[in-house]
Amino acid sequence: MKKIFVCNDSIEGLFSAIYEAWKSHLRDGIKEYGIRLEGYLDTEMFCEYVRVEGSEKKVQAVERLIMEHLGWYAYKIIYQAAMSTDPMKGDAILATMFAAKEIPNSRRIMEHLSHPQVGKVVKLAKNVGEEAHQWTGFLRFQELENGVLFSEFKPKNRVITYVAPHFADRLPIENWIIYDETHNEYAVHEAGKQWVLASNLEIDREKVSCVSEKEQMMQELWKEFRNTIAIKERKNPKCQLQHMPLWYRNHMVECTD
Amino acid sequence: MKITENISIYEKLKILTDAAKYDVACTSSGTTRGNDGTGIGNCAQSGICHSFSEDGRCISLLKILFTNECIFDCKYCINRRTNDVRRASFTPHEVCELTMEFYRRNYIEGLFLSSGVIRNPDYTMELLYATLLKLRKEHRFQGYIHVKAIPGASLELVQKVGFLADRMSVNMELPTADGLKKLAPHKTRKNILAPMRLVQNERSVNKYEIQKYRNASRFVPAGQSTQMIVGATGETDYQLLRVSESLYQKFDLKRVFYSAFVRVNDDKDLPAVREEGPPLLREHRLYQADWLLRYYHFEADEILSEENPNFNVLFDPKCNWALKHMEVFPVEVNQASYELLLRVPGLGYRSAQKIVMARRYSSLDFTDLKKMGVAMKRAMYFLTCNGRMLYPTKMEENYIARNLLEGMKVPRGVREMSYRQLSLFDDVRFGGEISEKNICV
Repeated sequence: MKKIFVCNDSIEGLFSAIYEAWKSHLRDGIKEYGIRLEGYLDTEMFCEYVRVEGSEKKVQAVERLIMEHLGWYAYKIIYQAAMSTDPMKGDAILATMFAAKEIPNSRRIMEHLSHPQVGKVVKLAKNVGEEAHQWTGFLRFQELENGVLFSEFKPKNRVITYVAPHFADRLPIENWIIYDETHNEYAVHEAGKQWVLASNLEIDREKVSCVSEKEQMMQELWKEFRNTIAIKERKNPKCQLQHMPLWYRNHMVECTD
Repeated sequence: MKITENISIYEKLKILTDAAKYDVACTSSGTTRGNDGTGIGNCAQSGICHSFSEDGRCISLLKILFTNECIFDCKYCINRRTNDVRRASFTPHEVCELTMEFYRRNYIEGLFLSSGVIRNPDYTMELLYATLLKLRKEHRFQGYIHVKAIPGASLELVQKVGFLADRMSVNMELPTADGLKKLAPHKTRKNILAPMRLVQNERSVNKYEIQKYRNASRFVPAGQSTQMIVGATGETDYQLLRVSESLYQKFDLKRVFYSAFVRVNDDKDLPAVREEGPPLLREHRLYQADWLLRYYHFEADEILSEENPNFNVLFDPKCNWALKHMEVFPVEVNQASYELLLRVPGLGYRSAQKIVMARRYSSLDFTDLKKMGVAMKRAMYFLTCNGRMLYPTKMEENYIARNLLEGMKVPRGVREMSYRQLSLFDDVRFGGEISEKNICV
């Protein structure tokens, strides 16, 4: 009977589910399995559902497995794909790992693009990477009264762990906070230190809306710059929309009017 | 007579942005630099777009002129000295302040500093140098800086500035020396090529120094670029492309940018106002051909020729080449070399790479290609998978051209061809369906 492992949407959950599936394949010889995320269950018939508890031990075992057999590059792609919003990502990752066993050199699994699930993993990873890259440009900071730079954004994929290191390198001498509305996570950086990830904090709206004196002026200057730089004779809103879809613009100062 | 007035920073930014907007390059790519922990800023190899303006061009850098109080009289330029426009100059302090504050808020990726020529080229270049020095040393700014070399400035100054900037550019402005003489009387070919050569030589020396000494400072690490105006003088596309090719080969340029001529001044030497607006399709075709030169192993003589000196309005240069070389096609996906795959219309280098990778594991057919995200719309007329084409196709220029045109949205100006004579340079504005995305990388 098909066995479906249910886990929560995190690296810990996913990798633990992969661990269980891998084990039951080796031990019990189960041929059909799937990985589903909590909240995305549409129950199939003739399936056995197993709830997977995440544990650090399982995560490490899977990490080791991937690193040893598929290599660092494949690990990076798999990790990135696991950050995607796609609810079927667990299936794709698991199938990719099984597919790697079938080819002569498992370390080159990510080149096997005509395999549907490998193709999907690569595509998911690319999608996450692209979104993260976009946000490194589209994110906007506001300077609060106390000099802290504050930014909020609403990404589709869980990209904060890719965006935050970029800014940690870029603005090492600043205090800044990035708030991910979708997943309710924060990246917090104190000047001169490492950044940290925090989740499930309550945001103090009042404090966040107190911007510094200079902030208003800089926003005005920036808006003016952006309006002036366009060449009127070449107006092309379609092209603009293509590069900067509306859903990115929610928190961009130049698009708020 | 110059009337000095107190202008607010807001007004200055407006005036000097407006004056700078016709410069095309907005790229922040080509160099990687981590932060050393003492200031703000870093650089990403790919470059990062921070916003997009109404005309669809990316905004990556704070693109401003240092001053528009220019002593030159270039006929195409809004800032020519005989024009009655408001004049303003920044101070180095103001430029630094704007750059730093914008950068902290993640509005921009760095600074693109250009300038009109105030008093004389050397004086202007010194001001640019002072600004960059302040930004780099006092503010410890480590983001991207693109700076223009002023034609006619002394080479020592250009060299000094080069050690502070990531990219430098000297504008070619016009592809021919005659055109330059006619429209930009104060600029000469020699004054433009001299700094270009200097940057090239200095860069190759620097490459060696970096290898030898760990702490050697880097000279223009992101390379140099240039810009040409398209459609201001009567040169053909072939001439333009030949100039670009030789710039890439002989001056080791990273990019040549093309800007469709926008008529901002009234002058008898400039072409008349075109009712269709700037020659955007021509500019687009030039960028496509430029890509073929740099990434697709094409040569200018393959794309255009003396007999056929202008681009086809209907087909992109690669498609056009393929239709004229039917003997090469169809190409077998599972066997063709990477270089040959690059020549197939509709296949980009990414698709070609994917194909080369994936065919090691299993032979590919059209469904595989589709799954891998290879666009088949144009490629299907030129490809076989295991000896079969996707649909029965006559390998004949006219047949394929007709099929390609069906279902293709024809650029706006071309549709009106039945009653409007096609202008000499095929300058037709294209609709939004042709993407301009390749322009800013």
